[in-house]
Amino acid sequence: MSTQDKPKKKKVKVTRNENGHPVEVEIEVDDVDGPSWGPRAGHTLVNHDVPRVDGPVKVSGRAPYPHDIRLPGMLHARVLCARIPAGSVRLDLESARKTPGVEVVLDLEVKEIRWLGQPVAAVAATTPEKAADGLRALAAQFQAAGFAVTPEQALAPNAPQVTRRGNKGKESENGDAEAVKAALAAAAGTARAEYSLPVQHHASLETHGVVVDYSGGDEARIYASTQSTFGISEDAAEPLGLKASQIETISEYMGGGFGAKFGLGIEGLIACRLAKLAKRPVHLLLTRKDEFLAAGNRSGSRVVMEGGIAADGKLTALRAEIERHGGIGGGSHARQPYVYSVEKVHTKSYPVHTNTDGSRAMRAPGHPQASFAIESLIDELCYAANLDLLEVRKKNLANPTYARQLERVAREIGWYEHPHRTQPGRMDQRECIGIGFGVSTWGGGGGESCEVDVRIERDGSVTSSVGTQDLGTGTRTYVASIVAEEFGLGMDGVTARIGSSRLGNANASGGSTTVASLAPAVKNAAWKARMKFAEHLAPLLGTQKELLRFEKGELVDQQSGKRIPFAKACAMLPNEGLQARGTWVADLAGNGIQGAQAAKVRVDPLTGRVEVLKMVCVQNCGLPINRLTLRSQIFGGMVQALSYALLEERIMEPSLGLQINPNFEDYKLAGSLEIGEIVAIIDDEDTREQAIGVSEATIVPGHSAIANAVANACGARVRHLPLTPDKVLAALGKV
Amino acid sequence: MSDSSADAQDPQSSSKLSRRWFLRGAGGVAAGSAFAGGLAQQAEAARARSLAAAPEVLEGDIEFELSINGQRMKLRCEPRTTLLNALRNHCEPPLTGTKQVCDRGNCGACTVHVDGRPANACLMLAVDLRGREVRTIEGLGAPGALNPLQESFWKHDAQMCGFCTPGFVMSIQACLEKQPNASLEQIKRACSGNICRCGTYPAVFEAALAVAKGGAR
Repeated sequence: MSTQDKPKKKKVKVTRNENGHPVEVEIEVDDVDGPSWGPRAGHTLVNHDVPRVDGPVKVSGRAPYPHDIRLPGMLHARVLCARIPAGSVRLDLESARKTPGVEVVLDLEVKEIRWLGQPVAAVAATTPEKAADGLRALAAQFQAAGFAVTPEQALAPNAPQVTRRGNKGKESENGDAEAVKAALAAAAGTARAEYSLPVQHHASLETHGVVVDYSGGDEARIYASTQSTFGISEDAAEPLGLKASQIETISEYMGGGFGAKFGLGIEGLIACRLAKLAKRPVHLLLTRKDEFLAAGNRSGSRVVMEGGIAADGKLTALRAEIERHGGIGGGSHARQPYVYSVEKVHTKSYPVHTNTDGSRAMRAPGHPQASFAIESLIDELCYAANLDLLEVRKKNLANPTYARQLERVAREIGWYEHPHRTQPGRMDQRECIGIGFGVSTWGGGGGESCEVDVRIERDGSVTSSVGTQDLGTGTRTYVASIVAEEFGLGMDGVTARIGSSRLGNANASGGSTTVASLAPAVKNAAWKARMKFAEHLAPLLGTQKELLRFEKGELVDQQSGKRIPFAKACAMLPNEGLQARGTWVADLAGNGIQGAQAAKVRVDPLTGRVEVLKMVCVQNCGLPINRLTLRSQIFGGMVQALSYALLEERIMEPSLGLQINPNFEDYKLAGSLEIGEIVAIIDDEDTREQAIGVSEATIVPGHSAIANAVANACGARVRHLPLTPDKVLAALGKV
Repeated sequence: MSDSSADAQDPQSSSKLSRRWFLRGAGGVAAGSAFAGGLAQQAEAARARSLAAAPEVLEGDIEFELSINGQRMKLRCEPRTTLLNALRNHCEPPLTGTKQVCDRGNCGACTVHVDGRPANACLMLAVDLRGREVRTIEGLGAPGALNPLQESFWKHDAQMCGFCTPGFVMSIQACLEKQPNASLEQIKRACSGNICRCGTYPAVFEAALAVAKGGAR
């Protein structure tokens, strides 16, 4: 906020030639003490809609994703994943080796299978079809041991032990149980309920994997579908028998990550070992089924919540017992009461382990789970005390940003004309339409890690380079746009180079930290390059460096008013051109964002079908670096939450120990027919001149708002996502 | 999907559902991939051809030609190779714009046009496409010479990671070729067999409607 109030400008006295007479005037010039974003009105590309620079290659199928890398002599690999959740395996390696087309067979020598889908072997062959033959020839014989694939199985008496830590992990406890008990007794309204969320899959369309370009020798390249270009080479060194410095990781394009693609991973390790054995390039990207079984997930949860509310709408008590379902991993769940203020709180949280793949970070880890339980409970308390759903939220959110955002989404969704603001509708009304709300938070801050190089050649070409990856968020675009704006150029004036571990360092893209780490470094590099440029040219033009301004493709001397086309100005640079390296600047990054969402649904009381008519999101994020790609991020969060609300659920078969739906036929994702009106509003009342990451916050509250809207429409409170028609009908039966 | 919706649905009376339309629509939704109609016709045509000719036994690597994006392409691969894998692994240069995502007709990422109709390349054998005209995303336009729909996808940011994008473009392009005035509802149906995990749908609809001449804005 401060930087916008006081834009970094300073006054300079200059002499101008006006109609042949020298006139002394005072003009405002950029402060040269350091880069700053502001003022907001002065941007030409930042805070505008800038179509992404890699759009044309993406829409025309020319973008080379790791899946698409084709190299001479390349082998196609397949992984054999355990078809049982626990036990051991016997393999016929000889038959696999003899299979036509199979070049290498790798036994991972797994003594004990501990989770369903655990990789046990791999083959590499000349075609994917022949690799599949190789897997069949392995004729894996699995000997199953006792297992638990559901939390119920894991908690049953005499359940087989899943991990050495036991099936129920360490419990953490916070707050004062007695104080909560007393507050509950004194509350005007109380509610107690159990909420649960299924295990959700990241379901990136490009599966996990790498192409290892190694043919013997002391150099390798790894094309990785990764969120961390700099997180691969070091792990690949050992299996390839090389030094990390001999391995270049390339991640120019990647088909979605959502938190599951950090590091080389077991699949990458296997690919490296196969390439080392074959001395040939290896293409290993998991099949869709293997991706479901062995590439991570968002942990499920079961939460018992009990809350109390005062007659004036103040939340007075909350007790929460949180069970996290992260397979062999720990799972995640944000602290209750999430972003709300509740006077007395007592929480317990512990993991329950199963013989299934460990959970990984997934877009806002733990937040959607916490959001669903608290937002549902708040509505239940409001109904118990006959209070307005919106007003109670505003009253119990300490940060005033939420009240403002909630009022905005309420207006957009039609809340003030809605009949069911303190009690749900009934299913016998003509149309069952309901509205629900949810709020979110995230950090989105950055840190020192990125090194951006801006290079200007004498022919006027400008390159902005950094090793970072673009997950589809638009990173590549602002690596160019920030530099273009600094030099008053259009988007065609700057080329962005990203996605190589041989370029300047960059952080991993996780936790919405990319933009707040990288954009300041890009800005700093651009600013330094501009200062250098001005310093070099000022004496040649007989002016002061502070008086040189870059705008509309020209270099302008504010003293003489002389304008030189940018390319001509570049021709005055020294032979080697100009280069500047930028690192992070704390002032250019912020931390801490808020968002509010509302959903309007129609429930069909005959079929239990839920139709999401409209969703609205108001989201702040400091300075929007690119409004077009920011809007897409908000759309994405809302649509993923809608999908989570209505459709997504990993289903385990407890007696056979199988996942029933490891494919897109049975694991449903929202498609075009589920998408109603989606309204993404950038909260421009946040005037911080700081870059802040936004992705995570946008996925947090949508499913909670939808579930609340269903209950609001007709009283059908579904406490276990997804909101499938059978559950809606069952809930209607209890109204 | 595109086919069935385009020719079965009269935009003037879209509320009147014929039994045929309902079956096609319902089939499409249930299968998660909506070109039941197109596939059935293809299967029928293939059956007619196989009845007319003597049975053909193919094994090992075979050589044949396909017409892809208007050009004759020589291929050498096993008869079990899907069109998808043939495009990606056996064409020179490889045509990798057609994406492999589910490999079982659930996601639409491998949508191509066969004789002008959208089809999942993962559900067809390459060898069965002899004598047919295959068009892939590479045949639609290229950077610097994008077709109007591709240009619109770019300008409306109807892509994030971009992995599903070629499939969406192909599905909607086929719809717009039959229904230049496609409505939002028709566009939604046209791409109902495509999945986008990044959640780009609202921008996809915008991009498609901007190209559709008479569609509701």
